Amino acid sequence: MTQPRFTRRTLLRGLGVSLALPLWDSLPASVAAAGPVAAPPRRSAFIFVPNGVNLSDWTPQTEGFGFRLPYILEPLANVQEDVLVLSGLTHDKGRANGDGPGDHARSASVFLTGAQPRKTSGANIRSGISVDQVAAQAIGKATRFASLELGCERGRGAGNCDSGYSCAYSSNISWAGESSPMGKETNPRSVFDRMFADRNAKPTDQAVVRGRALKQSILDFIAEDARNLQTKLAANDNRKLDEYLTGVREIEQRIQRAERTHADTSGDLTYQGPAGTPRDYGEHIRLMCDMMVLAFQTDTTRVATFMFADAGSNRSYRDIGVSDGHHELSHHRGEAEKLRKIRDINRFHVTQLAYLLEKLRATPEGDRSLLDNCMICYGSALSDGNRHNNEDLPILLAGRGGGTIDPGRHVRFERETPMCNLFMSMLDRIGAPTDFIGDSTGRLPGLQI
Amino acid sequence: MKSGSSKFVGLLIGTLCVAVNVAVVAEDPPPTSDSPNFSQSIRPFLQAHCIRCHGDDEPEGGLALDTYRESARIQSDYETWEKILRIVQERQMPPEDEPRPDEPELQSFCRAVQAELETFDCTSHRHAGRVTIRRLNRAEYNNTIRDLIGIDFRPAAEFPSDDVGNGFDNIGEVLSIPPILLEKYLAAAESIVEQAMQDAAARRRIVVHEPTPELSLREAARRNLKRFATRAFRRPVRDAELDRLMALAKFAIDQGASPDEAFRTTLQAVLASPHFLFRVEADPPLGQHVRQLDDFEVACRLSYFLWSSMPDQELFDLAMAGTLQAPATLDQQVMRMLRDPKAAALTENFAGQWLQLRSLADIAPDPGRYPAFDDDLRAAMRRETELFFATVVREDRSILDFLAADFSYVNERLAAHYGLVGVQGDAFRHVQLDDRRRGILTQASILLITSNPTRTSPVKRGKWIMDNILGEPPPPPPEGVVELDETPEALGSLRERLEQHRSNEACAVCHRKMDQLGFGLENFDVIGGWRDRDGRFEIDASGTLPGDVHFDGPAQLMQILSEQNKSAFSRCLAEKMLTYALGRGLESYDRCAVDDIIKQLEQNDYRFGALVRAIVSSEPFRFRESLGKK
Repeated sequence: MTQPRFTRRTLLRGLGVSLALPLWDSLPASVAAAGPVAAPPRRSAFIFVPNGVNLSDWTPQTEGFGFRLPYILEPLANVQEDVLVLSGLTHDKGRANGDGPGDHARSASVFLTGAQPRKTSGANIRSGISVDQVAAQAIGKATRFASLELGCERGRGAGNCDSGYSCAYSSNISWAGESSPMGKETNPRSVFDRMFADRNAKPTDQAVVRGRALKQSILDFIAEDARNLQTKLAANDNRKLDEYLTGVREIEQRIQRAERTHADTSGDLTYQGPAGTPRDYGEHIRLMCDMMVLAFQTDTTRVATFMFADAGSNRSYRDIGVSDGHHELSHHRGEAEKLRKIRDINRFHVTQLAYLLEKLRATPEGDRSLLDNCMICYGSALSDGNRHNNEDLPILLAGRGGGTIDPGRHVRFERETPMCNLFMSMLDRIGAPTDFIGDSTGRLPGLQI
Repeated sequence: MKSGSSKFVGLLIGTLCVAVNVAVVAEDPPPTSDSPNFSQSIRPFLQAHCIRCHGDDEPEGGLALDTYRESARIQSDYETWEKILRIVQERQMPPEDEPRPDEPELQSFCRAVQAELETFDCTSHRHAGRVTIRRLNRAEYNNTIRDLIGIDFRPAAEFPSDDVGNGFDNIGEVLSIPPILLEKYLAAAESIVEQAMQDAAARRRIVVHEPTPELSLREAARRNLKRFATRAFRRPVRDAELDRLMALAKFAIDQGASPDEAFRTTLQAVLASPHFLFRVEADPPLGQHVRQLDDFEVACRLSYFLWSSMPDQELFDLAMAGTLQAPATLDQQVMRMLRDPKAAALTENFAGQWLQLRSLADIAPDPGRYPAFDDDLRAAMRRETELFFATVVREDRSILDFLAADFSYVNERLAAHYGLVGVQGDAFRHVQLDDRRRGILTQASILLITSNPTRTSPVKRGKWIMDNILGEPPPPPPEGVVELDETPEALGSLRERLEQHRSNEACAVCHRKMDQLGFGLENFDVIGGWRDRDGRFEIDASGTLPGDVHFDGPAQLMQILSEQNKSAFSRCLAEKMLTYALGRGLESYDRCAVDDIIKQLEQNDYRFGALVRAIVSSEPFRFRESLGKK
């Protein structure tokens, strides 16, 4: 466990005003600069936006440093030197490859897995393990939560989601295993409570110690129930009970980690957390971003995913004057009016990303910023919503990965370079190197000069 | 290996054994029972498009289509043929780099395979099917807690949403348990027990036995636990289970917990146990093909089907007595349950998903074009359809009322929207409709969810009818189709533009019917208000359905649907409701059960209750098959 540079108490006190004031204002520089010297951990986040983008207003004209920000990316002006624009990456497994329509559902399930999802609206869901979960399984033990899954849309409650694909494919990007989507939290209040509900518990208190022991005994009890049941049931049923047991183990580990790391996570909290899910969509995204910053800052987790919206989302964006549904618009057939609306939606999303990046950068960690120790991968697994193509994807990578990435550039890769090669490079930096993920063919060159 | 067919191999791996098996016995006999379907549509298609790869010594994917020489084999290998049908229908096969069959040829092949599959012999095999173990979904969890504890906490409000498969969110295969959900279960168990024990009434429901000089604290706790766990697990709790719960209580006491805290710990364990969270059904014993469910299992199937909740005391008592499955008793129970207020769950969860009312919440018509629309109107739309559905259920009306009823329920707001006079106040009331509207398809809720924010969509409306009323979902558009150009007005009315769209034969195959159905509803705007004009174009709500059936306007269309398409509608509704009742997608052998259900429905004037009774007494509902299918 890496020593934190400053106590959580200080950080959370700072957060108490973070919604009104920039977080950093209340952090004394001396605190930020003090502390032992172990290298801070590297964090990674993966952010998904649906329906592709208007690529001509996304891709910078020039490569290398000093590119001019296109219309959609303009909101990143303050953090341009912390962002890599990556062009030319491909998700081949998002293509039909014989499976027919359903590009939207595929675009979410392939985004972090690089795996061809099995076309099914019900039985036998199968995708692949996602990059965030590869990371979580390798480094998650160090933190209370192995990973955090965030979103703004709860998933569709009725009907097929996309041309014969189960909704599981379009409402999840994080997959713990090939048939186990992680689910996601959409209420910022719940995220906060999950992370800090026991914040006032005193580790020495008898009742707290006993409470933990009882909780553990309940977990033992229900795990035994599940195992007993498994001996009586057939394979499909057992898969469900495996998921159940995985959940039990995950919680057990979290309790153990909480015991180990309690000194770091105690402290009184002046920030009481968000009230709930705000009606305003932009505010919703930003609150979720706040939760992500908070999670990284307190080292509650080092891995997060965030779906700004689910695949094929047909949300309208009235606040920026777009009353048509996003999905409907994305089938623009080159019409100028629609392309204009799409790029405005794309820009709106990037504006929220800029909020996150600015906040991370304004949060000091050691003698650098939190953003310096992060890798934030942002984008869509569809390139153009009309053509539904999966090459030349719109992808950003923000942060410096603890000094292992040189951002501020636009880098173009050879055509058909697998997006999964980026994941390979990220996993190296996260400390979770692997031989392959999805359809990776190697590492991505050029992240560092 | 051709690139396009690599995927096919994967899809067919499961059928490899069947196909290989077949190749061995295919030497003889010569074709005898050839049906016209087979000789005129299937065999020529196979020869022209399939067997070059899927034939001879090393057929692609192990699928030897040249071994199929007679129609009877299609029925015996129905699983293989269902896959073939789906893959051809979705135009995954033949692969892109092979010559494409033309559209009429492809459709005729698909129809012929479908027809062959439908001749499936229902007497030869008993197929009850097998439902994958189902966890409670959010609605079921909430209702079960409500009925178990006696307080309507709705603790599942914060659970992640349940994934949907086969159109519903109660499908065992699809309901997964991500770690975050287990975490929520544990937290919910803790807070439910906490609150229940603080509430005097709820506490009395759980703590029935108090210790007395004659009854030790331990024994009282054991009796209370036995009662609670039996209800929570929806079957008699076993002694061994009770022993383990008591051991848990003892552990808590040893840790210094008070008796009350120890008891609460065991309650939490019950609520987090898989026996509570899942609906467990035993498989047939080894070597046995099917097993009739016991009364407790059937009680659960009934209660979760009709109430989305646990069985009540009456069902428990009948199960305990072992008399629940007597045919007359089952029928009585169904009718009793449908009249119970808890049957509101059928409206909320079945109708909410069949009719997609749940998606109303996410739909936002363009406020510039529809300034009158607001959340009150949205809520009134949903309420109308819910009340209408609930009336059909409660009054045991004909299901054809869904298509042709001349009454509905409105409040002042909705009445004004429909142009009905004399309705005042927020309360909904029964009204007689004028001849503009008939049944649910002319209710604003359905009209709105089948529109785009800025314009109506005859295609969406027609597709919705084919999907949810006629049960013939059109296949997805072939790849590379040009979408409808909706540049305003310059190119003619929406109808004219759609007709241009259909001049392409590949599109026309499906759109001919889809668009015509949608045209019949063109008198209704995006939010379901009546209109005679769309911009500068006069509305033409006439159309011609296949078979040269003409109609003019929505009322006539509804009449045609309810009279000439009632068997398609009955089948569609029966299939959807059976899917919902079972918690699994239907397989081809389920058409035997569906046929029986429809027969009973027809014999009982299409009454809703008859449909439910037929489902409940069907084989798939009361039996369970082992995993090996044959």
